[in-house]
Amino acid sequence: MQAFDCAIVGAGPAGMSAAIELAQAGADVVVLDRADRAGGQIYRSAADSPLPDAASLGPDYAAGADLISRFEDSGAKHLAGADAWHLGDDGRILFSYQGETRELHSREMLLCPGAMERPMPIPGWTLPGVMTAGAAQVMLKSDAVVADGAVFAGSGPLLYLIVAQYLRLGVPVAALVETTPRQHYLDAAPLMPRALRQLGQLRKGLSLLREIRASGVSIYRHAENLEVLGDENAKGLRFVASGKQYEVAADTVFLHHGVQPNLNMTRAMGLAHHWNSAQMCWQVTVDAFGESSVAHVSVAGDGAGIVGADGACAAGRVAAQNISHRLGRISRAERDNKTKSDLAYLSALKPFRRFIDCLYRPTDALSSPRQANTLVCRCEEQSMGDLRTGFEQGARDPNALKSLTRCGMGPCQGRQCGHLVTGLLAQWREESPEAVGYYRLRSPQRLLTLDELGRYETVTAEAAE
Amino acid sequence: MKADVLIVGGGIQGCATAYHLARKGASVIVVEKDYSGRHASGVNAGGVRLLGRDMAELPLSKASMELWQTLDEELGHDTGFRRQTLINIAADEVDLATLRAREIKMHDAGFTHERIIDRDELRDRLPYVSSNCVGGVISDLDGYAIPYKATSAFRLAAERMGAQVIESEEVLSLRRVGDTWLAQGSQRRYEAETVVNCAGAWADRIALMIGDNVPLSHAAPMLMITARMPHFAKPVVGAVSRQLSFKQFENGTVLIGGGAKGFADRANNRTRLDYAKLAAACRTTAEFFPIMCKASINRMWAGLEAYMPDNLPVIGPAVNAPRAFHAFGFSAHGFQMGPVVGQVLADLVIGGQCRFNLSPFRIDRFDRKVL
Repeated sequence: MQAFDCAIVGAGPAGMSAAIELAQAGADVVVLDRADRAGGQIYRSAADSPLPDAASLGPDYAAGADLISRFEDSGAKHLAGADAWHLGDDGRILFSYQGETRELHSREMLLCPGAMERPMPIPGWTLPGVMTAGAAQVMLKSDAVVADGAVFAGSGPLLYLIVAQYLRLGVPVAALVETTPRQHYLDAAPLMPRALRQLGQLRKGLSLLREIRASGVSIYRHAENLEVLGDENAKGLRFVASGKQYEVAADTVFLHHGVQPNLNMTRAMGLAHHWNSAQMCWQVTVDAFGESSVAHVSVAGDGAGIVGADGACAAGRVAAQNISHRLGRISRAERDNKTKSDLAYLSALKPFRRFIDCLYRPTDALSSPRQANTLVCRCEEQSMGDLRTGFEQGARDPNALKSLTRCGMGPCQGRQCGHLVTGLLAQWREESPEAVGYYRLRSPQRLLTLDELGRYETVTAEAAE
Repeated sequence: MKADVLIVGGGIQGCATAYHLARKGASVIVVEKDYSGRHASGVNAGGVRLLGRDMAELPLSKASMELWQTLDEELGHDTGFRRQTLINIAADEVDLATLRAREIKMHDAGFTHERIIDRDELRDRLPYVSSNCVGGVISDLDGYAIPYKATSAFRLAAERMGAQVIESEEVLSLRRVGDTWLAQGSQRRYEAETVVNCAGAWADRIALMIGDNVPLSHAAPMLMITARMPHFAKPVVGAVSRQLSFKQFENGTVLIGGGAKGFADRANNRTRLDYAKLAAACRTTAEFFPIMCKASINRMWAGLEAYMPDNLPVIGPAVNAPRAFHAFGFSAHGFQMGPVVGQVLADLVIGGQCRFNLSPFRIDRFDRKVL
């Protein structure tokens, strides 16, 4: 079996940045990522865009291409298309690669699972034709596919980015339905002066909004009571804005309500997690250098708490220097010296993050289903009413509720419904999300055929020979 | 808190005992260190099986099987029980000889619920079975249920009868003073005339507090479940001499067991999986049912289960203390027995006796054994 100094799971901004540093330090480093090309979600296909003019996606995306090429030249071993399905706290990783399950060992492990979009369970959110803003990005970046005349609803920087990208490409947009409540602007205002220290980040956001406004696309602000129209397929969006009810017709509705750490990897490993009340999500508990509750397992990037792409690069470099130190390649003093400026940058990002978290914090109305018949678990088709019945029968723990109702038992392993279930149980029990807890997750983190797992032992036996 | 009976453990045995005691008018408290159905009772394979049982268990198991047929109506809640033929496949002539030898013993003892089938009938009942298989044995009374739901149904019925189930409550000490059992829990203190130990993989610790030593061990049997697939097997499938066991549920998912064990980390309340053994279970399953090759595994897990050296449970009174009873150590086949064990313990607690011969299940049966 192959053994490495460090295995990095995820080749997004954090994973690539860490790999570059570790390879430079002479460590034997391997990077596993399920995609064919490095980049993660944010820099997906940045190095080989199918778009005739990738510049329309913005300067940040173009910067991704530079990072990818530095990573590819770094000397780190990159297993593209390697889908890790078991990460053991003993340093063992099982992954699918070219249809086979393979195994490797590492002294140190760095997880960079990235972020996923927060589910937005408004009535009709599971109808065909309803997708997330992130899905719009994937279609655009990977396949240069767009949806004409779509309505975009929700809040947060990623939503404005995709709308701006659509407009630059000349794709008609039916409307932008913005849900940030007035109160959030008032709450966030006092945090603004300190956030101004990250002028660059703030400018990016403001220029996107200006760009959208200048385009003349219909914008509705402070929208409430969102509801997707249609029985079989999405036919549009109904909402209330400025006291008036609107209906915007569209075959495609893109929803976005912020991002949260992708938990399945860190949860299945059994790492300690805590509830982040500012971002209203679970996140893995790590120290300043990314070390988790299991000392040789570190986590960096959005997967350890949302920091954005630039923050993820810095966090990846910091984790890499700490791992170099743990591997005995550099002294503690060298580590501290080499991480000083990135740690300073990460702490300078905090006031900006607080401002963004406050302005775009998820509203109760959008982050928790309000109607009994709204689906919570898409895989097993369990509605909020079904869960309420289970709760009333005494299933007060997320795992008990899962056992009773099948909510969270489907192929997504609770990725979609996990936070919703914690949130609902916290409401019903009148306790904190921390007291409620989360699903106990297990490997495999993706569907695995019997055939593939059945050949696992033979594969490792061959590797041992 | 005071009650007539304090039951330690909120699994199916504890909840069924609470239900039958409460029905007979006793005041009952169940204390459970995690939540009801958290361990073996809630995460097992759900087999409601009479086929292939040890002779010593058969009278209890048969009585329990009758209770399962009407359990939903009796408890007023869905246990997920479905009656479904169980087939143990004979892979070769050696297996068939094993079956014939058992048949003679069974018939001598007056049991006729198992029937040997030939190659053709096997193929009729399981069209997708590998053509190498030579026959098998079936039982038509068998079936399966949804473990957590069944445990929960007993708990809800017990609560309706007035029993109290207290979760997140671990028993830290237990002692008898005069005619009273005093229990110190992590949250509260309890007093009861009688104590019942249904603590599953932790039952040896409770037995020790009562005063009984018992050679209990624990292990982590592993299970896998697939994503939904087209229906291909109605009966529940096992094998005479191979680690093969699966059932396809009505929703199309296939639960694969087989008895392979992972790593039981009892001190930390968790289990780890042994992927090499799961891989072997995959190979066995695909060998007997090639259609399963392309099935997709969705989840794999293991539960903490208690085992006795002879794979028979402990059911009956404590030997070193009055007014204390045990029901544990079911060695991975106790789920089916839950309904009758609840009756038996209620009879023992209230009347001091029951209609079954419990001598094979005495807690002190290993005390004088020379190994």
